[in-house]
Amino acid sequence: MECIFGLVGDGFALIAADSSAVHSILVHKSNEDKVLVLDSHKLLGVSGEAGDRVQFIEYIQKNVHLYQFRNGIPLNTAAAANFTRGELATALRKNPYFVNILLAGYDKGIGPSLYYIDYIATLHKIDKGAFGYGSYFSLAMMDRYFRSGMSLEEAIDLVDKCIMEIRSRLFVAPPNFVIKIVDQNGAREYAWRESISSD
Amino acid sequence: MSIFEYNGSALVAMVGKNCFAIASDRRLGVQLQTIATDFRRIYKIHDKLYIGLSGLATDAQTLYQRLVFRHKLYQLREERDMKPETFASLVSALLYEKRFGPYFCQPVIAGLGDDNKPFICTMDSIGAKELAKDFVVAGTASESLYGACESMYKPDMEPEELFETISQALLASVDRDCLSGWGGHVLLVTPTEVQEKALKGRMD
Amino acid sequence: MGDSQYSFSLTTFSPSGKLVQIEHALMAVGAGQTSLGIKAANGVVIATEKKLPSILVDESSIQKIQLMTPNIGVVYSGMGPDSRVLVRKSRKQAQQYYRLYKEAIPVTQLVRETATVMQEFTQSGGVRPFGVSLLVAGFDDSGPQLYQVDPSGSYFSWKASAMGKNVSNAKTFLEKRYTEDMELDDAVHTAILTLKEGFEGQISGKNIEIGLIGTDRKFRVLSPAEIDDYLAEVE
Repeated sequence: MECIFGLVGDGFALIAADSSAVHSILVHKSNEDKVLVLDSHKLLGVSGEAGDRVQFIEYIQKNVHLYQFRNGIPLNTAAAANFTRGELATALRKNPYFVNILLAGYDKGIGPSLYYIDYIATLHKIDKGAFGYGSYFSLAMMDRYFRSGMSLEEAIDLVDKCIMEIRSRLFVAPPNFVIKIVDQNGAREYAWRESISSD
Repeated sequence: MSIFEYNGSALVAMVGKNCFAIASDRRLGVQLQTIATDFRRIYKIHDKLYIGLSGLATDAQTLYQRLVFRHKLYQLREERDMKPETFASLVSALLYEKRFGPYFCQPVIAGLGDDNKPFICTMDSIGAKELAKDFVVAGTASESLYGACESMYKPDMEPEELFETISQALLASVDRDCLSGWGGHVLLVTPTEVQEKALKGRMD
Repeated sequence: MGDSQYSFSLTTFSPSGKLVQIEHALMAVGAGQTSLGIKAANGVVIATEKKLPSILVDESSIQKIQLMTPNIGVVYSGMGPDSRVLVRKSRKQAQQYYRLYKEAIPVTQLVRETATVMQEFTQSGGVRPFGVSLLVAGFDDSGPQLYQVDPSGSYFSWKASAMGKNVSNAKTFLEKRYTEDMELDDAVHTAILTLKEGFEGQISGKNIEIGLIGTDRKFRVLSPAEIDDYLAEVE
């Protein structure tokens, strides 16, 4: 079942997510990328209803781009997070999107940041966070091993600990994970952790 | 489980002699899972007016944004800050506007009026005002807050004693509530200054 | 939708940059019966002529000074029916303000709302400007206040002002008589004297109206008998 988590390290933020597309008891796909590179320095990790996820992130991404085209400067991470929350909050009492979001970004002069936005549009700036069934394990692991200012190696090590814990303790654990990071050099895919091939 | 208890919260405001204090816990949870321990539920409207929003965090944020918007428009239009009583009526009106699809919040409003007279009030999620002379409480820890405040409150406390009283009442109460806690924020407002302090409590 | 492309605003700029419709509206005000207002140290008084087209009209059925809220009164010069529209809209605004804030609307806010309506009628399609100027007298936390609102939607705060027929005479008279420390009773006397200046025929409690508000913050329109008492004092 869905697992998505992220954390802030020294000069970077990262998001890790499972890559399974599941319906009921069927696994449709095990290489579904749920972490979107929103713009040059932002990552959007989204879990939730498959259809809502695709619709909503596309809407957010296109609007963030539109802002950049119109104004010649990108939205900073806090602004993008508040925009996303606003859209989610307006939708909440009309036709809600069932999507839980982790938004990671890097801004000049501010540094890396990570925002928690759940499907009812609660927004909070965090150092570490998680959604889904995996959160019970990844939050516990991060509570034990996370400290502020971790290096990339330490952080990846922690991510691997989380994934290991999910794989060993979660009955419905997904096989594959993707890890993406964002730092001053931009947002990019960092690695995959695959236990079954999806080719 | 009530939707008001989804995120967990503890809120209290107390009146002292020419001053007031408002305090909240710091936990943001999703039912029993703790998401963050640095969450804020008390918002500043202007130098002498604060609102705490207990209940569902998303609605607290939405409501806060709407209130700030309305207050800024008021400031521009009328070239003055809102009186606490006026602001309470505005909050009440905005809440009742959504009578049949309410914001799941119970606000606590505290401010100093024209002659620095303290004003505190609370209301339910559809805007029924409840004014008090001594203290008001809200949130998942409200039952235990009532008990703590009832036994610790004295009228006309000086700022120092008021700070001590509200802090002890908050910390004692959240220990008996699973959904709130992780320390607290306390704001002490006197005619001349505002002191803000973060409390450490049982961090478990 | 055949006619919609022609239904643009009647107030269109003339080549010289004027809005002639507004100037015409001001002419209508200038031809209207004289009204005036005086802000005293402890209150405000507004007064107006009430000349009727025929002696057969029942003068007791006509009230030119009206209340917008318990502490704000208004008088117009120009077209009576137009003023009723403004008074109706303003009263509604005042009530909406009260319903929202549980607090009486400040005079400045009500004047601004009224002026906004008058401005809208200079720029909207299918309407004409109001043929009235208003004098608004009120007393709130900021003290006694007197405002004049014109058909263009512009408004000013005055110590004393006049409008309608004989404006210039009335204003000159007020300039001579006005003092900062004037009490409400003196202001009523001055108002009567000013009206008397340009009055054709015999002035009486039945052909003028006076409204005043003092520190009790209750706006009140004087009865003909009360006006007659004041008239007696002036003589």
